[in-house]
Amino acid sequence: MGTILVIGEIQNGKLREATFELVAFARQVAPGLGAEVKSLVIGHGAQALADDLAKKGGGEVLLADHELLANYGVDAYNRAVRAAVEKTKPDVVLFSNTPSGWDLAPRVAAALDAGFVSDAFKIEAEGGKPVFTRRVFNGKLDARLSVSALPVVATVQPGATSPHAGSEPGSVTRLDVAISTGDLKAKFVKIQTAEAKGVDLTKADIIVSGGRSLGGTEKFMEIIKPLADALGGAMGASRPVVDSGWLPHEYQVGSSGQTVTPKLYVAVGISGAIQHLVGMKNSNYIVAINKDPDAPIFEVANLGVVGDLFEIAPALTKAVKDAKGL
Amino acid sequence: MKLMVCLKQVPHQDARLDVRSDGTWIQEDNIKFEINSYDTFALEEALRVKDANGGSPEVVVVSIGPERVTQALRTALGMGADRAVHVKDADADGVDALGAAKILAAVAKAESPDVVFMGLMSDDGNFAAVGPMLAELLGVPHATSVVKVSMDAAITVERELEAGALEVVELSKPALLAVQTGLNQVRYASLKGIMAAKKKPIETKSLADLGLAGQVGAASRRVKIEKVYPPPKGTGAELLKGSTDEVVGKVLGKIKELGLL
Repeated sequence: MGTILVIGEIQNGKLREATFELVAFARQVAPGLGAEVKSLVIGHGAQALADDLAKKGGGEVLLADHELLANYGVDAYNRAVRAAVEKTKPDVVLFSNTPSGWDLAPRVAAALDAGFVSDAFKIEAEGGKPVFTRRVFNGKLDARLSVSALPVVATVQPGATSPHAGSEPGSVTRLDVAISTGDLKAKFVKIQTAEAKGVDLTKADIIVSGGRSLGGTEKFMEIIKPLADALGGAMGASRPVVDSGWLPHEYQVGSSGQTVTPKLYVAVGISGAIQHLVGMKNSNYIVAINKDPDAPIFEVANLGVVGDLFEIAPALTKAVKDAKGL
Repeated sequence: MKLMVCLKQVPHQDARLDVRSDGTWIQEDNIKFEINSYDTFALEEALRVKDANGGSPEVVVVSIGPERVTQALRTALGMGADRAVHVKDADADGVDALGAAKILAAVAKAESPDVVFMGLMSDDGNFAAVGPMLAELLGVPHATSVVKVSMDAAITVERELEAGALEVVELSKPALLAVQTGLNQVRYASLKGIMAAKKKPIETKSLADLGLAGQVGAASRRVKIEKVYPPPKGTGAELLKGSTDEVVGKVLGKIKELGLL
């Protein structure tokens, strides 16, 4: 019988919800692949977390526990995963597509000369092998990928499925990983949490965000700010706007910026790259204005206007002002 | 000091994405291509290291692909890279991430760079795989999602985590950095740079030149793209039609309905 190896991830002293999502995916496809689910927990002083994962569907849980594994570091974690792979000979290795998952998983695939799929949001079993679905072209197309040979290493999009909820019998075995400080070519120094931001979009009831189509700071201030002001809301932006230096980072909505859930989110000239969508898709009501009818933003929006933002947004600003008697 | 920058040429961000007849990728004939956005930041960062060291480090740009890739390499040379290596081979066109990493590893072994710079991911495949894979094949440390680089005897980088947090990592050289967009402001090629680039060498290599004949390519892909297709239309947005006045009236009506006016 084959093995699906789930790589668990600890964050702030707890197993991430994404780990239990991996367990859910693994258990879903295990019968079709004729495989059993096993897991790996990497950390320091993590016995209780490994016990917890074993009770909640992780199956036979391997625990790599070492002081040099207390924080993520590519060399040490690579060794831990490779030791677990050596021991379990998995057909499928699943990581979460998180900053440590996407950092390490491709290295493991290269070391095993194995196939690699990143950021899958769907995994199915077909003819005894896994088939993955993921986005390409920054969310404009989906791709279905099959595997010509096993093993395969994959990262899975956090939030793509619900975390496994049931309790199952499991066990925990300690996995010896030989690491010394001299082995580490990449050294963890520290984590800096985001300092208090000047702009807190998470508390805004209304957010008007602009994207790359605006073309520059001036147009942003001419089109987006007046609409946000008229609505009594806050101004936000997509990543390309911040990358281009049109607005500072604290205005960025998305996975590497702020995650927002306002009552009304107006996306102006934002195509809807995945990294933006994860930061705003849970808004109560979403209006999107974009010239491309196939833009992914329309998939998460409630109301869409296909057209020229330079005409529609100012007209909307005027209409809002008129309605408010401003 | 030698710096190697890996560039991928990808369909232009505004190019039409039509699925080709076999359904497994987009139709790439007669569309515009550009340097992958992430890779432009990688090149800029390497050029900044060169500038900060009195221009002495050599910056070598490497790209895999058909004839059109020459244009991307010329642009990079125009921006200030010193020379280019173009891996051009019909068998190299269909490689997956691991195949690309094996090709780049063969080039890197010949070049022995102190630092390899590349983008975190490509704008077409979005795999974010080649960087860490190449680092593994070379046995060097790496960091992904790099948003700040300080180069000394060792390399100190800041990596972007979630929710605005950053991780500081120190890497010994040689090392590989897979950079995030936005870590610098990318320069344009100057007219002088473009003229100078015409005299800079682009070396073309086949897979056989790299000792990889028959070892990488479409046939040895581990992962096969079965099909690409527009994401299924879910519930999706109600798309408004009509004149500007009409659609604006409807949006305004909705905002009123939500009690937000």
